[in-house]
Amino acid sequence: MTTAIDIRGITKIYNPESNQPVKALDDVSLTINDNEFFTLLGPSGCGKTTLLRLIAGFEQVSGGEIMLFGEEIENLEPNRRPVNTVFQHYALFPHMTVADNVAFGLERLKKPKNEIVATVERVLTLVKMKHLGDRRPNQLSGGQQQRVALARALAPSPKVLLLDEPLSALDLKLRQAMREELKQLQKETGITFVFVTHDQEEALAMSDRIAVMSDGEVQQIGGPTDIYEHPVNRFVADFIGDTNFLDGEIVAVNDDLVTCRLGSNSMFEAENSGAHKIGDQVTLFLRPEKISLSAVGATNGQDTRPGKVANMTYLGNQAAYTVDMGDGIELTAQARPQENGKLPFAIGDSLAVGFSARALRVLAQ
Amino acid sequence: MSDWLPRSAAGRRWLGLAPSYFVIGIFMLVPMIIMGVFSFLEPNPYGGVKPVGSMAAYVKLFFEYDLEDQLVFNPGYINIIFRSFQLSFGATLLCLVFGFPVAYYITLQPENRRNFYIYLVTIPFWTNLLIRTFAWIIILGRGGVIETPLLAAGIIEDSLRMMYTDGAIAIGLTYSYLPLMVLPIYASLEKLDFRLLEAASDLYANRLEVMTRVVIPLCKPGIIAGCILVFIPCLGAFIAPNLLGGGKKLMLGSLVQFQFASARNWPFGAALSMLLLSAVVIMLIFYARAAKKRAAMEGDG
Amino acid sequence: MQKSSSPRKSKKILPVGHYRGLGGWTVFFFIFLYLPIVVLIFYSFNANRMVMNWGGFGFEWYLKAFQNEDIQKAVWNSLIVATVSTIFATAIATIGALVLARGGNFRGKTVSLGLITLPLMVPEIVTAVAVLIFFSAIGMNWGLGNVIIAHITFCIPFAFMPIRARLEGMDTSLEQAARDLYASEWETFRYVTVPLLMPGIVAGAMLAFVISMDDFIITLMVGGAGSTTLPVYIYSMIRRGLTPEINAVSTVLLLVSIGIVTAYWVVSKKSQTDTVH
Repeated sequence: MTTAIDIRGITKIYNPESNQPVKALDDVSLTINDNEFFTLLGPSGCGKTTLLRLIAGFEQVSGGEIMLFGEEIENLEPNRRPVNTVFQHYALFPHMTVADNVAFGLERLKKPKNEIVATVERVLTLVKMKHLGDRRPNQLSGGQQQRVALARALAPSPKVLLLDEPLSALDLKLRQAMREELKQLQKETGITFVFVTHDQEEALAMSDRIAVMSDGEVQQIGGPTDIYEHPVNRFVADFIGDTNFLDGEIVAVNDDLVTCRLGSNSMFEAENSGAHKIGDQVTLFLRPEKISLSAVGATNGQDTRPGKVANMTYLGNQAAYTVDMGDGIELTAQARPQENGKLPFAIGDSLAVGFSARALRVLAQ
Repeated sequence: MSDWLPRSAAGRRWLGLAPSYFVIGIFMLVPMIIMGVFSFLEPNPYGGVKPVGSMAAYVKLFFEYDLEDQLVFNPGYINIIFRSFQLSFGATLLCLVFGFPVAYYITLQPENRRNFYIYLVTIPFWTNLLIRTFAWIIILGRGGVIETPLLAAGIIEDSLRMMYTDGAIAIGLTYSYLPLMVLPIYASLEKLDFRLLEAASDLYANRLEVMTRVVIPLCKPGIIAGCILVFIPCLGAFIAPNLLGGGKKLMLGSLVQFQFASARNWPFGAALSMLLLSAVVIMLIFYARAAKKRAAMEGDG
Repeated sequence: MQKSSSPRKSKKILPVGHYRGLGGWTVFFFIFLYLPIVVLIFYSFNANRMVMNWGGFGFEWYLKAFQNEDIQKAVWNSLIVATVSTIFATAIATIGALVLARGGNFRGKTVSLGLITLPLMVPEIVTAVAVLIFFSAIGMNWGLGNVIIAHITFCIPFAFMPIRARLEGMDTSLEQAARDLYASEWETFRYVTVPLLMPGIVAGAMLAFVISMDDFIITLMVGGAGSTTLPVYIYSMIRRGLTPEINAVSTVLLLVSIGIVTAYWVVSKKSQTDTVH
């Protein structure tokens, strides 16, 4: 597999000479493979956009190197880097038509006229905007502007396409449709996409690999299921999806299971990651969808624990239940409404709560 | 508001606007109409006009009577008018070249510093133009601030004779109206989305192309407004040509003043004023059209 | 590990949109803009009779200027003209701005706006000529009165602009809130609109005052003998010969203008932060 981008120990400090320097990135290293849909995911202020802007060349690194297909680029001006950006608010030139916007990069690269015309037509067709080439950006809807921005960045055939939260300004339905299209486009063009977002759902749906960032550091890099199922720390587990966290102490270690004491004296078995020993203070995590709720006595012999509904939030396609497990332990779980729309449990109901020990995982502290 | 005010919205509206209409209408609009009428009357040798219709004032722009009382072409006034346009054009260009980078530089600053810079730009504009132009006599004049050290150092041997030249007038005009160039350009640059510059640079535009393809086209309304705001007062300038041109290098403004103060040819002065006014109107129409076209082009986005 | 010693690292790339030399150019610009003012003030302390021959530091030209009765008269005229014109122009501009900023869209709005800003667009010399011809045509000769009327006319747009800007930046919901809380139309205007508008009115009045104090050409043309204002008097001094007395008087006038504009700047800056909160 070829490496498209190799980030080596990048540090970025804003206002380094002032008395309030801000460290946006702290010794970040990662590699992005060629022909990959790579996502930088994290809350605002985590440094993901800064990293993207460093790759594009809008900011300068304070330390470290950026290699693009084996070439060092961190000291090149943006116009000398063979990468293109789709900006968050599109940044389309308001004084040019759609076609002129798309042709802009090709013209700067001094491509022959007929090639420019052909390429503009090709990429506009690719994003289904060919019929609107004469329009100006302000005559387009948000979704259309999005497509033009995409076409404009793709036209010069960049080695890497950088996308800075490109879907954030669109409304929900359009955003979901565009996810599919972007992923499709990446496959068709074979260009490496580096996609920045704070929306975990978006990241899981589209990416080949995800780098979860926080506080200027990469927390975890991996495929979507990796990140979701095996988060390396509490931040990643918390940021992606809903999670129950349970703090406790390891009291026994077997081959593939560990036993934890939670609350005053409740024992829970969890998957053994091999990294912990007896006496460790740990956090267990358990995804709500892995918990099954049933009425008392209707458990088909499954191993369950008793619980009581403490609170309930109706969400339409499901209901989120807060279940009091006793001993100060609370779990969040989900249940689907019945076919007639009635909810299976009410506040105060007693329940049988079931989950497999494999679903309970120990987080590195 | 209170009972004594008209109840209808329209009534109140016109009551509120009436004083403005009255003052500016009576003391500005009507006088300009009268001025137009005067330009078609015969001059009274002691100032004022005789109520006799005449095209003499406009004829005088191009022709004069020779010794045999024959009309012959006289390029004198046309030359002055041409010079006025030339000097105004030159001063406008100087203001643009000088002012644009400054307006741009100010836009790059953090906001509180931007305000301070703008304050610094406006200060000279609000101070007395006559006084500020007078200061240039001390700077440019014989034995002035520029010459004295050069003479003392032996770099020059004789006076540079900078005063009473077109150059001195151009400097004076540039100096007088420079803020009028910087402010509108700054206003339009301030609204510029800097991400567009990044986008251009991302799309392989070098620094020069970022400037010529994105920044300048997008702040063109500001540039045009600045040029018009500088050009109009330059054309009618009186102080700079009078003090720095020594009254010998006449411009339209000083020529007009001369007709009323010394030559006592009011119709001719009025005709010259009408000429000046029509130049202004043409430019404003041009500007309004450009602005309208642009608004139509870019819509409200 | 760190290869920060490589020579290419030290090369500093300017951020996008930045250009070399802009800062230096700006410094040069401000020197050009302020050099005459500094020179003027500096030479006002020249003890020599000739402006350009430095004869030592002294205040005598200030004393001389203050004792000059013609200057006293001219200052007095300037103050009368500026004060009266400011009061009228500001009042007229305020009600005009209220209509144009709060009267919604109505037929004639653009025309009204054009009329009020007309004095800004017409070259001063044309205004001067037109007003001069007008007064002579109707045979009006009120001395300083003529000057004041001309000044009111061209000061209106200067007073109008900050007032209108303030009105347009004002939140109309405040007035609606007052009406909702049982204030009559007049009470709303008196206790909500006027206090909120005050910074704009003050700013407009200051600008009108400065513009009137500084006007030269219109006063020169319109004013007859006896209605000499300070700038017109300074002009006649310049024509008679250059003495540091001109610099002394000019410096005082300059500092008054700068003081007022600085006050205006502070007021408008404060009113900006007021609106933000």
